[in-house]
Amino acid sequence: MQLPPELEQKFQTLLGRYPVKRSALVPMALSAQDLFGFVSDELVTEIARRLEVNTLQVSETLSYYSMIRRARAGKYHVQVCTNVSCMLRGGHRILELAQKKLEIGHHGVTSDGMFSLEQVECIGACTGAPAMQVNYDYYENLTPALTAQLLSQFDQGRNPRPSTPLSGAVHERHPAEVPVISRLFGVPGSHTLEVYLQHDGYRGLERALRQLTPEQIIEEVKKSNLRGRGGAGFPAGMKWSFVPKQSAKPKYILCNADESEPGTCKDRPLMEMAPHQLIEGMVIAGRAVDAHRGYIYVRGEYRYVIDILDAAIAEAYAGGYLGKNILGSGFDFELFTHTGAGAYECGEESALMESLEGKRGYPRIRPPFPAVVGLYGCPTVINNVETLSSVPAILHRGGDWYAGLGSVKNGGTRLFCISGHVRRPGIYELPMGFNLRRMIEDVAGGITGGKRLKAVIPGGSSCPLLMAEESDVPMDFDSLAKAGSMLGSGGVVVIDEDTCMVDLARRIMHFYAHESCGWCIPCREGTAWMRKLLDRFHAGLGQAEDIPLLGELAKNMLGTTFCPLGDAAAMPTISIVKKWAHEFEEHLSGKCPYRPADVLAAAP
Amino acid sequence: MATNPDVRFTIDGREISVSPGTLVIEAARRQGIGIPSFCYYPGLALQAACRMCLVEVEKAPKLQTACTLVAAKGMVVRTDTPQIHQARKNMLEFLLTNHPLDCPVCDKGGECELQDMTFRYGADRSRFVEEKLHTPEVKWSNVVYYDAPRCILCFRCVRVCDEGMGVKALGVGQRGALSVIIPNRDDHLECVECGMCIDICPVGALTSGTYRYQTRPWELQHVPTVCTHCSNGCKTTLGVRNQQIVRANNRDLSGLNGDFLCVKGRFGFDFTYHPERLRQPLLRRNGQLEPASWEEALEHAAARLAAVRAESGPEAIGFLGSNRTTNEENYLLGCIARASIGTNNIDHHRTADYAGMITALAGPSGVFATMGELASAPAFLLVGNDPTEQNPLVAWQIRAALRHHGSRLYVINSRENPLRQKARLWLEVAPGREAAAVAALVTADVARPTSVLSAAQLSEWREAVATENDLVVLFGHALQGRAFTVLSQLAEMRAASGQRTRFMALGDYANSRGAADMGLLPGHLPGYASIENRAARQLYGQIWGASLSATPGLDTQQMLEAATTGQLKALWVVGSNPAQRLQRSISERLGKLDFLVVQELFLSDTARLADVVLPALCAYEKDGTMTNTAGEVQLLRKAADCMGPRSDFDILRILSHQLARHGAGNPIRLRTPEAAFAEIRQHVAGYDLSWVSLLAGGAEAARPVPPANGHAPYDVPAGTITSAGDSQFTSGSLSRYCTMIRSLDEADAHS
Repeated sequence: MQLPPELEQKFQTLLGRYPVKRSALVPMALSAQDLFGFVSDELVTEIARRLEVNTLQVSETLSYYSMIRRARAGKYHVQVCTNVSCMLRGGHRILELAQKKLEIGHHGVTSDGMFSLEQVECIGACTGAPAMQVNYDYYENLTPALTAQLLSQFDQGRNPRPSTPLSGAVHERHPAEVPVISRLFGVPGSHTLEVYLQHDGYRGLERALRQLTPEQIIEEVKKSNLRGRGGAGFPAGMKWSFVPKQSAKPKYILCNADESEPGTCKDRPLMEMAPHQLIEGMVIAGRAVDAHRGYIYVRGEYRYVIDILDAAIAEAYAGGYLGKNILGSGFDFELFTHTGAGAYECGEESALMESLEGKRGYPRIRPPFPAVVGLYGCPTVINNVETLSSVPAILHRGGDWYAGLGSVKNGGTRLFCISGHVRRPGIYELPMGFNLRRMIEDVAGGITGGKRLKAVIPGGSSCPLLMAEESDVPMDFDSLAKAGSMLGSGGVVVIDEDTCMVDLARRIMHFYAHESCGWCIPCREGTAWMRKLLDRFHAGLGQAEDIPLLGELAKNMLGTTFCPLGDAAAMPTISIVKKWAHEFEEHLSGKCPYRPADVLAAAP
Repeated sequence: MATNPDVRFTIDGREISVSPGTLVIEAARRQGIGIPSFCYYPGLALQAACRMCLVEVEKAPKLQTACTLVAAKGMVVRTDTPQIHQARKNMLEFLLTNHPLDCPVCDKGGECELQDMTFRYGADRSRFVEEKLHTPEVKWSNVVYYDAPRCILCFRCVRVCDEGMGVKALGVGQRGALSVIIPNRDDHLECVECGMCIDICPVGALTSGTYRYQTRPWELQHVPTVCTHCSNGCKTTLGVRNQQIVRANNRDLSGLNGDFLCVKGRFGFDFTYHPERLRQPLLRRNGQLEPASWEEALEHAAARLAAVRAESGPEAIGFLGSNRTTNEENYLLGCIARASIGTNNIDHHRTADYAGMITALAGPSGVFATMGELASAPAFLLVGNDPTEQNPLVAWQIRAALRHHGSRLYVINSRENPLRQKARLWLEVAPGREAAAVAALVTADVARPTSVLSAAQLSEWREAVATENDLVVLFGHALQGRAFTVLSQLAEMRAASGQRTRFMALGDYANSRGAADMGLLPGHLPGYASIENRAARQLYGQIWGASLSATPGLDTQQMLEAATTGQLKALWVVGSNPAQRLQRSISERLGKLDFLVVQELFLSDTARLADVVLPALCAYEKDGTMTNTAGEVQLLRKAADCMGPRSDFDILRILSHQLARHGAGNPIRLRTPEAAFAEIRQHVAGYDLSWVSLLAGGAEAARPVPPANGHAPYDVPAGTITSAGDSQFTSGSLSRYCTMIRSLDEADAHS
């Protein structure tokens, strides 16, 4: 198959990035889709030929990813988010508006081929909710009127300015904030090497390469009490120390930039405004474990962020911060970005590696763990964007200093994405252990419309929800665990008294059912069952026995699934059924007390 | 020498000891502790996807999957707690949510693992009242149908097709609860149609196109027997209802083929009831073949044969045996030829040089590899042949060894084939030059390049093979005659360095080896005793009640020549079709015979020329033993019945009586195949085997001995030993009557 020159060039570039050809599969397909509008059978055959796999292997892999289309979409593919943060701020009304204006439904395409519409899961614009993407551009802080206006502009061939950076990331600093990794937010040109260098850029790397041994680097990170910022909270230094010192195989540093946890949008601003900080963190990690190559796995929807990262990487190579003999130390490190294509499960570290290897994003059997058997079977360090972005400061200013910023065993600061029913939704860098209630009332300006707080999602939708009376809690890993929840991803979603918790549970379960990879029985069947049950229940057809059944099904999933996605679906559900049981009982009358009869369009 | 000590751990209160690396699920099952699983399947990649095997491990916070848990010292495992009972019920309840209530009509009903588990673990209640996701069943090929709602997504089919068969025609599409198994051509399969996916499916998601909706499994009588097609000797279990074979599969799993069964073993049984099946003897009257009674036909045949013998002597008569008749039938044919008639003009379509191999290499035990041993052999040298097509079990075992043991494969071949892709080294030679390549490998001087191997190749190959301490050499008809002298040299050289070499000849058909072992050869008696060996002649002469001739007989080519010259006046053909197989106006030659008798299943090209046609039963319709190409003997069990034909054993036995009445030889007193086999076990070299083991369904490897006065290998005349070169969809002359397999072949050609 003859390809247009720019696509041919792209394919060649992609093939050159990986030691195993198959890794280029999804990026190749997505770049072809960007050009042709969809992935045809002919393209599948061509990709298979180039990667030396059979066509079934290509088509089965592509069918796993939500963003890959095998049929043409509209010129403007409108993706409206209705996940929790957007839902709380009217995301469904935006969707309704779009459906009405475009006269198509979910997965529909207008007859003139100009528009297609999709109801999507969290796109990482929570602090700018409600939001949508048109192709790869973000449009945030939408109202129905604004949405109508934007769609008209597109229809007239005018592309309105997208929201970049993320709404709520750049704002007047709250006095309680401690800007460490967000210190560059709002600084013009912060994504450039020049500006980064003016703000202590690459100082940590200098110290790491010139003054410390790899063991000392790991010690420094251990001292800092830096714990994984992706959600699991595993001590980063300890994870690095699991990588065997000697290895016949090459080692890798992977950055998990698949940020897809509903309510979470902190990695996006970090990458778009401080890409060099992440690069620096990865090179330091490489030095610590003797890895010489890294990949940043970025969710496919963050295309413009990937472009920013690629530009920063090019600058870093040119400036001698990547490539051979970095800062004259003799240490080599190569770095590449890799695009995902719409799959929350690929944020799970082992599924991420499977996806990076060009396969369906199924998680792996553990043990062995990535530190020993990771990417391509080689020792691999895999950390979240925020975790790696925190490393430069730790090396520059010391692990003790970083640890001191936070609470016991929970070092440093972290970015909290506060969204939902608050007056000042935004990204706030606060010390670990900062009080949640103060975060909501003081930092984020309290509940909108003068309403009362009903519930909080403390760290992304995978956490057990907290009732208003439970919100007086320090926000660190250990305190929240003690309170029966989790710090998670830092996605704080604030819910007011006028929100239907049953509807919230329903929408949350839709997400997990949509994202379940399908590998294991309890998650695959359990999330599907609970989604159907909640759809029926909220539509007014619930029975009394559905309420204990829901709790029981969630408990049957808890701890029995292959990977934590099952737990992530179970925990919020169990907490909602338990803590707001009365709301479920109220729905038995057949009506939702919180909204009128017209029920929202649900994702299939 | 230190070995890894066994691991002691406790399971359900029992302390047991297992070898290091043993999975808890295996350890438990060996103790008789049942741990349920769908996705775990020995030999395929571990998945831990179905979660049925969750067990409690002391000190572990969560239940662990026994299928990925390696037994560790001091581990305390419990499989029988209330929590686990509930977990199993929960998993089954989840699984049954979208599973349709198809049991009353589903093929798998009665032999379904999901049914069994639901029953065993008491998952008697489903609280699911939501809408089920339904999609209609789809046809992926003539033999594979897929029903997505029934599918439990255990992925066994995907793995067996990819890892086991190396074909990779099945994949997984979509995500989450919308996941489905997908075929490689969007809406249909382009594959080898082996049917492994159907049998490995624990439920009725994948069903067989030949069997679906026909019957319930408990209405069938299941008879394990040996496949009648290629030479590998796979056990196939025939499901018989009202004397007719309804299906064939590998439900037994205890045969030398383990899990494996190919398209022919699975779908190649419908020839048994093909409408053209011969059901009556035929006599040629006035130039036409007309139905006759058994009495008439056999009497006529015996009388004429005896007459030819009397008038022109025993040497005017020839016998062509079959590659598919049983050992006992072959033994009887040899007896009739040599004792009743008195000639050594007996041969069969030879597809591998077993005689040459055994003469040159037999001796120390363990020099010939068995099918089972292949799966763990560290290294293979494959010369000629295309096992993927011609010897599917061999290919399966080689793939298993490569996959599980990191074994190495070295291939010398003139053509591309799938196994060549997996070879560590492969050497492409011109067709017919494989033996020269092996000879060069073993004997050539590195300094002087040969015509088949360059100096560089010679070094590379020698070095590589020298590192292999345990090598199995497999070969088809490419190695014959003097090539075995070279192999013998190779074995000796390697033995001198303490390296082991085993051999396996790859013939074509179900009893090709048995035909040779039982002496359907002009120069050999049963057990490869040379006819020039006086003691051997005396032994068999005594058993058979006649004085045996020492004159070497004519082989097939020579017999056909002799038919043309009039030297050969009569030919008795059992289950062989030279008119189809051999070129050069064979029909003409056969037409010149005074008298031609053919025992056959169908009116083959050869049978059309005969004076007498005797309808025979096939391997699936009689008892007896067959020997696979590796020399492993197995029992056939009569499964189906066909009215009209008789077993070749009966035909030959009765013939001997008729011949005796006409003054030719003595009647054969062996009334049953068992009786014949008892005689074989007693006298035929290498066949002193355990009858009990065979009765129990096992395979016993014959132990051939170097024949006394065995001649050194000699040049076999060109064309004497040739493989038919069958594919996975052909089976010699049976091909045209295997309707389902023909349809698969045609579909394959057109896709």
